[in-house]
Amino acid sequence: MANYETEERIYALATAYYPAALAIVRTSGEGTIEALSRIFSSPERLLKSRSNTLCHGYLLDTDGRKIDEVVLSVYRKGHGYTSEEAVEISMHGSLPLINRLSLTLEQIGFRKALPGEFTYRAFMHGRLDLTEAEAVEEIVSAKSQEAAASALDRLGGNLSALICQMKSALIDILSSLEVQLDYAEDEILEDWVYPEDEVRSILTTLDNLIGTYESSRIYSQGAKVVLAGKTNAGKSSFFNALLKERRAIVSEIEGTTRDYIEAECVIRGIPVRLFDTAGLRVAKEEIEAEGIERSKTLIRDADLVLYITDGSDDSLPVCDEKTIIIYSKLDEGRKGEGLSFSSVTGEGIKEVIDEIERRLVRHKDYDGRVMIDSQRQRDGLIECRDILKESMVNRNMSVDLMAMSFQAAIRSLNTLIGDVSSEEILDNLFSKFCLGK
Amino acid sequence: MYDYDAIVIGGGHAGIEASLAVSRMGFRTLLITQSLDAIGRLSCNPAIGGLAKGNLVREVDALGGEMAHLIDSSMIQFRILNRRRGPAVQAYRAQADKFSYSRLAKETLEKERNLELFMDTVVDIIVRDGKIIGVVTERGWSIYSKVVILTTGTFMSGKIFIGEYEHESGRLGEEAAKGLGDALRKKGFSVGRMKTGTPARVKMSSLDFSRLEVQDGDEQMRPFSFLTKKVERPNLKCYITYTNERTHEIIRANIHRSPLYGGKIVGKGPRYCPSIEDKVVRFPDRERHQIFVEPEGVGSEEMYLNGLSSSLPESVQNEFIRTLPGLENVVIMRPAYAVEYDYLDPLDLYPSLESKIVKNLFIAGQTNGTSGYEEAAAQGIIAGINAALRLENKEALILKRSDSYIGVLIDDLTTKGTKEPYRMFTSRAEYRLFLRNDNADSRLTPLSPLASDERKEALKEKLLAMEEIKELLKARKERGKNGLELIREPEVTIDSLLPSDANNFSPEVKEEVELDLKYEGYLKRQEREIARFEKNESVAIPEDFDYDSVDGLSQESREKFKAIRPKSVGQAGRISGVRVSDIAVLQVALRGVRSGK
Repeated sequence: MANYETEERIYALATAYYPAALAIVRTSGEGTIEALSRIFSSPERLLKSRSNTLCHGYLLDTDGRKIDEVVLSVYRKGHGYTSEEAVEISMHGSLPLINRLSLTLEQIGFRKALPGEFTYRAFMHGRLDLTEAEAVEEIVSAKSQEAAASALDRLGGNLSALICQMKSALIDILSSLEVQLDYAEDEILEDWVYPEDEVRSILTTLDNLIGTYESSRIYSQGAKVVLAGKTNAGKSSFFNALLKERRAIVSEIEGTTRDYIEAECVIRGIPVRLFDTAGLRVAKEEIEAEGIERSKTLIRDADLVLYITDGSDDSLPVCDEKTIIIYSKLDEGRKGEGLSFSSVTGEGIKEVIDEIERRLVRHKDYDGRVMIDSQRQRDGLIECRDILKESMVNRNMSVDLMAMSFQAAIRSLNTLIGDVSSEEILDNLFSKFCLGK
Repeated sequence: MYDYDAIVIGGGHAGIEASLAVSRMGFRTLLITQSLDAIGRLSCNPAIGGLAKGNLVREVDALGGEMAHLIDSSMIQFRILNRRRGPAVQAYRAQADKFSYSRLAKETLEKERNLELFMDTVVDIIVRDGKIIGVVTERGWSIYSKVVILTTGTFMSGKIFIGEYEHESGRLGEEAAKGLGDALRKKGFSVGRMKTGTPARVKMSSLDFSRLEVQDGDEQMRPFSFLTKKVERPNLKCYITYTNERTHEIIRANIHRSPLYGGKIVGKGPRYCPSIEDKVVRFPDRERHQIFVEPEGVGSEEMYLNGLSSSLPESVQNEFIRTLPGLENVVIMRPAYAVEYDYLDPLDLYPSLESKIVKNLFIAGQTNGTSGYEEAAAQGIIAGINAALRLENKEALILKRSDSYIGVLIDDLTTKGTKEPYRMFTSRAEYRLFLRNDNADSRLTPLSPLASDERKEALKEKLLAMEEIKELLKARKERGKNGLELIREPEVTIDSLLPSDANNFSPEVKEEVELDLKYEGYLKRQEREIARFEKNESVAIPEDFDYDSVDGLSQESREKFKAIRPKSVGQAGRISGVRVSDIAVLQVALRGVRSGK
């Protein structure tokens, strides 16, 4: 039975995760102010600020680089929504900035709040002004299987059904072990045989699901897409065409050294940070080396590199997993085999976007209908996988220890969905075996 | 004004332990039974122990109970079950000479200084101001006591069925206890019906042993009691035979004559111990079912047909039993029958086994919807200890799921209730690697106010011996490793590592050390799980906690909490159908109680 822990510091984005003018990130828990002062531009001022006051400044990442200009609403213990020490951070509603702040908060010891957890804490401290019924309702919806399932349905799959399927396969295996433990050798004569095929099939599903974490991470945390190619290959017009097509341009931030342009857009639901390395090659001699270095770093960290060519390149980069070669200026005639587009007529842009989506949402040999999107889910699945792998190695162990392994495997799946009771196992067992003297 | 400190109603396996516990803790006790000749009867199979059940017997012993002594002195075959299926689940099982067992039980009760036995039938209880103060018997006696322990087994409004025949009995040939069930119903107890059954007893000399498989016991008999040094008892054989298609045909053809299928029996029977007609109906594809033929005692002709319980008419029993190899010319001495009886909903009990409806009334055994001698004894001893603790004005002894099978048993009954006769299974226990039958004494003896000095001393000696063995292992060096490390290797046995002159250690003690060391890693893992479990168990809910004052609880959970009155947040979480969110709300409210809001 999972319960909220109230001893930890938590944070959550209180506004929608979508590009907007402003975003509010809420933090709460003992030591919040002290912790935030470590990443605030004027730590002394924050530490001394009284309750229910505002504090203006910059939040920095752990390397001391500015994340954003912010206004902090400070609540000392006994005040504010949760009645815990709390700070509300008002910042710019840019997804990359929000992501950087989240990362930094986690680095300094904040945990991402579970749904409804702030309300729960408010309730805990007897602080809630809303009706308690409402609060409870929120807790219910946050912790129930339906809530988990609906969150998952957002990604177009049905994770809980798949996990339940694995769980029931594991319960079958556990029942076949338990029957050996509940009945004596003279009643159940057959020895237990390690169900290798069943376990392998569960392992395959687990591996596939764990693999989807990367692609769903892209949905929740965004992808880095870099445009590369020679000057005048059509990068900038492609860049603009892409942004125009998506109509989602939020901000256009100039690269600090003017050697690339960064923009944000949402492509098929995927938040994308788009980098145009335009200007790289025309930079002055002395900074060119530095520029090339920067562009290499950019390309190395990218989730996807779109290499734009008008067909005049002497040589093209190797077309690997994260590199797509795209021919421009389709209106002037097809320049080569592969994807082509025209930023003038718009022809081919849709196909390019299709390909970008396909590449970003990668699923090895998996149909990809079901995905996981949180670290917690991934951890639960990895734990389950590791236990099963270990059980396979130790398959000659006595059945009581083997049962412990399968119990643990089921428990790890239970952290993702509901509980299994010993009754459930007995029911299963009685329905499958003819037992009893 | 009180005639006794305590009255125990019923002389079965729960009543024996309960009456001995209270009287041994120094209180004047009266045991009232319908028949002094029926004390400690093994009404069904002539055996004690088995998987999980054997552990219960060891636990009852560790607390200071009698069951292990009784079987140690009356066994006629002994086996360790599931030895090769792993250390956590092996258990002792012994065939009993049921006549010796019962006689010895009666003698033990008779000899107890503070205990009196009295033959009569209790028909009502006397309650004043919500407290029990005595009982009324059939012959008109009103007997007063400060506490009462009810252990009526299958006798309360018991009714047996053999085909069309029915009779108000608790066992074949023994009158049912009439009146008490209705009296309790009127006082607000929730009374239900359950059903169980027993197979036919057949004459040994009518069997063709050449056609039966032999099932031998272990050569070495081991004591169930931690205080018994050595068991020297006759070692009898059991036998195995099988049903066949012909058997099943006869049963199928007569199924409408079974009171179970004819709708006469309303009580719910146990799924794990189905009658032969149940097996044939539910598993039509099975070509045969295994039947064990077990002696009922030394010098008795009666043999028990384990696996063949039935409520079909005697003529049908006669016919289908004779289709089994070796039983072609069988003579039935007692027919198989089903018995239906009143039980009291265990959700009306606190984990101390005290009734929530009437104070100072404790209830134990089959009356609470369980089945089995061992389950009954386990509740009996807890009810007895807690009745005595009540007389001493002390806190009740409540065992946990993490320290004993008894803890699992009582927590299940009082938290989840039961819809069929509840039997203990190893799979019901979460921490069974720790709840082994070899360490029951170190788990429970220190907790028991009933444990004698002799018992505590024996435990201390055993723990010292275990330390000594570990020292010897530590001193043993081989291949650059010491004995403590070597023993972890699967093929290495403890005897191969101990010096040849270390014979003074009993095999049980050596095995326990071996298990502790070999499975140290798993035990540590289990310990961590136990620690996590106990965290929620330690958050207590006050007995008078007002659930109506807590806003935000779902109506369903509120009703369940009010009915069950869980002792801790952990227990509340195990109630079936309670939502996680309600537990969260409950925790909030409890925090308010603690901080005085």
